[in-house]
Amino acid sequence: MTTGLTDAMETGGIDRRTLLKTVGGSALAVALAGCTELLEGEDDPLADADVPDEPVESGLQTFTEGAPSVLGVQARYGAETAVRRINENDGIAGRQMNLDVVEESDAYLTNYQQFVDDGKDVTFGPISSSGHAEMVPEIEAQEVINVSTDGTVTTLYEEDFPDVTYSFRFQNHDVMEALAAVEQAVEVLGADSIDTYAGINPNYAFGQDEMELFSAGIEQLTGAEEVYSGFPDLGTGDMSTHITEVNSEAPDVVFSSCWGGDATLLLEQGHANDMFDAIDVLVGPVLYGSANDLSEDLVRGPIYSGSRNFYWGEPSTDRWSPAADLVDEVQSEYGVVPTAHFMSGYGAVTAWATAAEKAVRLLGRWPEQEELAMVLENHGFFTPAGYHTIGADHQGYSNAHFGELTWSDEHDAAALANVNVFAAKNVSPPPGEISADWIGSW
Amino acid sequence: MLEHVLNGLYYGSVLFMIASGMTIIFGVLGILNLAHGELYALGAFCAFSIVGFFAGQVAAPTGPVTAIVFALVVLAGSLAAAAVLLPVGGALEATFVRPIYDRDEVYQLLLTYGLLLVLTDVMKFVWGPSPVDVGVFSGINEIPTTELVGFSYPSYNVLVILIGVAVFGWLVWFFDRTKTGRIVRATAINREMSTAIGVSTDRMFTLVFAIGAFFAGFGGAMVSIGPGSASLGMGLRWLVLSFVVIVIGGLGSLRGAFVGALLVGVSSRIVTPYFPQLELAVPFLLMVLVLLVRPEGLYGTWGEIQ
Repeated sequence: MTTGLTDAMETGGIDRRTLLKTVGGSALAVALAGCTELLEGEDDPLADADVPDEPVESGLQTFTEGAPSVLGVQARYGAETAVRRINENDGIAGRQMNLDVVEESDAYLTNYQQFVDDGKDVTFGPISSSGHAEMVPEIEAQEVINVSTDGTVTTLYEEDFPDVTYSFRFQNHDVMEALAAVEQAVEVLGADSIDTYAGINPNYAFGQDEMELFSAGIEQLTGAEEVYSGFPDLGTGDMSTHITEVNSEAPDVVFSSCWGGDATLLLEQGHANDMFDAIDVLVGPVLYGSANDLSEDLVRGPIYSGSRNFYWGEPSTDRWSPAADLVDEVQSEYGVVPTAHFMSGYGAVTAWATAAEKAVRLLGRWPEQEELAMVLENHGFFTPAGYHTIGADHQGYSNAHFGELTWSDEHDAAALANVNVFAAKNVSPPPGEISADWIGSW
Repeated sequence: MLEHVLNGLYYGSVLFMIASGMTIIFGVLGILNLAHGELYALGAFCAFSIVGFFAGQVAAPTGPVTAIVFALVVLAGSLAAAAVLLPVGGALEATFVRPIYDRDEVYQLLLTYGLLLVLTDVMKFVWGPSPVDVGVFSGINEIPTTELVGFSYPSYNVLVILIGVAVFGWLVWFFDRTKTGRIVRATAINREMSTAIGVSTDRMFTLVFAIGAFFAGFGGAMVSIGPGSASLGMGLRWLVLSFVVIVIGGLGSLRGAFVGALLVGVSSRIVTPYFPQLELAVPFLLMVLVLLVRPEGLYGTWGEIQ
């Protein structure tokens, strides 16, 4: 079901002119798409623009330590890689970029305010959904653009803050991953074979939101009945009680949006309690976020995981060189395989940087914050993960990935097999429509 | 239901191992040690390094016998990891805690909170900021439990329950039956009298703090070799739950800590499936209930280990 990239790219048939045109003809855009070898000999069309000499100052807040760092450190690697590529390719309209990284912790609001006080041109992060929700009013008040890396709760821009100017989010929202999980379960088992389902999700806004959306989607598609829904505390030390309940109900499908240490705990205790013998399939939209912490014995069983808007093996790395190059670069630089959270950091920086350069082209000078915010709306750009857009609602839209959890001897890490790629329009509502209403209309 | 009870006993056993150290230190020294959660975390990180090394010396389990050998090696490694906490605890007591025994409680809380922060940074410096996992959990679960408890149940949970009972038994034996244990209890009851008859209270207090740190570290090792991983900040949740346990059981009571930990473990595991929203609240509701009926806790013994 690969739908996201152009046919020419998937077949390796793209030429230099086509690619340059596709990514906007910008050297920076091409570099961030991962195709720098195509840039030799290109003229710089931005040479006459009125752009300051001093570097762009930016700040990223993410989880750099503790259990959430499983995601946060990847986001940091992603942002640093994007900044490195920007600077190696003559910057944004000639401006180099500096990136400061701070620990997100519970200090998201203070971090943002400190970044603004320090004169940052743009800020990135946080990962936390509640943190982002708390920051939005402050972002709008301070009028310094923030591109959130994660924090994917659907209601943020649909209901809580439907009319914002300076606040953006790169990562797909929950409805896309929950519905991709529904589609994946239906594809594996068949709609007629799914009579019951259960959920084990972290007990905060993200986990509750994901379970609600998954329930709506799978009940709409299959008529299945929910037999158990448990919400262990985020960062819990024990999920055995929820696994025991799942085992006793033996549902056809288990849905889990557990991430980080919770995801590995679920798999560890799930295997120890024979959960994968009791159920037909486990679908988890962010299990693969823990790819670098998973061991070979943990990925056995009917376990399917999403990889949000990026999976390094899709499209196949022998057909889509930017993804292959990125895997090599990240493994060489950081010793890990890049996950979707890597792309959260990479994509947030890329969204802003490519929009900034586009604004310079339009204006002939460096844009003001408000002008740049306008350009970011409906902005489309490439990364090694493919094509992404930022919608008019300030929400990022990309292909959603889902595949069977397996093991890669080549990369000595967890991998995904038989990856399905769901186009954004197939797993998210049309602009202006509320997700729950849209699912109800299926 | 039986499986939920077993889950609760497993959870309570881990909790007891951590809370017992805090109980010992509070019961004898009168110090409410806020750094206790970080001593637990330090045990988890030490287990990552030491158990990882030990486990690497034996083949991965392929059957019940090799699995038992593997589990014994891992257990020995866990004890070795916890043993690291003995000199650490002793040094912390002798250097930082000893000078403030006669100060107000607020100084003790500030000091132990400062130690919490220092220990966190030390662990970050040594093991880095990201979580680490020993990766032996699935190996231990190669031991079949079908015949042991009548149905398939994680071997690791059964081992932890047995170890929890053994730890309780050892502590009761130590404080009730050994000369050193009796001297420690006597010192806790009357320091002046103990000093007058020639007991070195400094040495006793250092020993008690070291034992408390050991059991915090052993609890951390149990979590680290289990399904969880060692990570910065992991101690906070267990620190709070340990407070709850020792308040339920009665400050300074080992029996209280044991019963309190099992009560918290079993009640939370039984209630959670039916009222998931109460998972966090159950231990605190239990604590409130006990305090309303017995304000001193189930086995309250101020200023004495019992």
